[in-house]
Amino acid sequence: MEKLVELHIPNIIGSEKAAIDKAAAIAREMGFSDDRVEDLKTAVSEACINAIEHGNKFDLNSKVGITLVTEETALKVTIHDEGDGIDPEKIPKTREESNGFPKRRGYGIFLIRNLVNEMTFASEPGKGNDVKMIIHLENKRKEIAN
Amino acid sequence: MNKDIKVSTAYEDDVVFIDITGDITAVTGGVVKGAYDKDNVSNSSKILFRFGKDCYINSGGLAFLIDIASEGRKKEQKLAATGLSEHFQKIFHMVGLTRCISLYDNEESALKDFK
Repeated sequence: MEKLVELHIPNIIGSEKAAIDKAAAIAREMGFSDDRVEDLKTAVSEACINAIEHGNKFDLNSKVGITLVTEETALKVTIHDEGDGIDPEKIPKTREESNGFPKRRGYGIFLIRNLVNEMTFASEPGKGNDVKMIIHLENKRKEIAN
Repeated sequence: MNKDIKVSTAYEDDVVFIDITGDITAVTGGVVKGAYDKDNVSNSSKILFRFGKDCYINSGGLAFLIDIASEGRKKEQKLAATGLSEHFQKIFHMVGLTRCISLYDNEESALKDFK
C-alpha cells in the first residue's frame, strides 16, 4: 500500500537533518539494508543542501519541501525548492578537471545519481525545482519476482 | 547535519596524525584544511587522517578534502586515512579521492605502508 509523508524545512543549512532522519526512519521501517539507508541519507542531504543553496539561494523566506512516498518495492523522494529554475543542461556531468583530478565542488547531483536507482531533475521558471529520486527495495523486488 | 567538528594534530617520528570527529561540511571543512595548512603539517611527507566512527562528510566537506589531496599530490606527500565507514569509503572512491588518499582498515596497516 502506498503511503505519503510530507515535510517542510526552513531554508537554513543544518535543517536538512530533519529530512534525513525522516527518510532514514521510513527506509529502515520498509526494510532497507544499513548501507542503502546510508546511501539514501547522503542523497537526501545533498538534494536539500542544493535546494537551500542553489535553488532558494539562502533566502530565509523560502522553504524546502520533501515528499516521501513508500511503495511495496521502492521509496520515492522529491525535494522541492522555490527557486527560479535551473537549466538541467548546465548541471556538470563530468567530475574531473582536464588534468584528471577531481573537481572541487558540484558533487551534490553526482552523488545523488550514483547513490539512488533513479534520479530526475525538473525545473520550471516560477515554479521552482524538483529533484526526484527512487531507491529500490531490492530484496522485496526479488521476492515478488520469484 | 552540522555536529561540532573536532580536529587535533599529533606527531610521531616523521608521521603527522590528524584526528577528526564530527561533521565535515562546507561550514566546518575549513577547520580540517586549517589543520593541514600549518607549516609543520603541510610540509610533512606522511600524513594520516584518523576519522572518528561518527564522521559525516557531505559534498561541501569533500571540497576541502579535495583541496588537501590536490596540494598533497603537488608536494608528493603520502596521504592516508583510517576510520571511515564503508559508506564514506565508497564516496571517496566515487569522487576520486582514493587516487591521492589511501584508505586503510586500521592504523597499523597505514603506518606499515608509509615505510
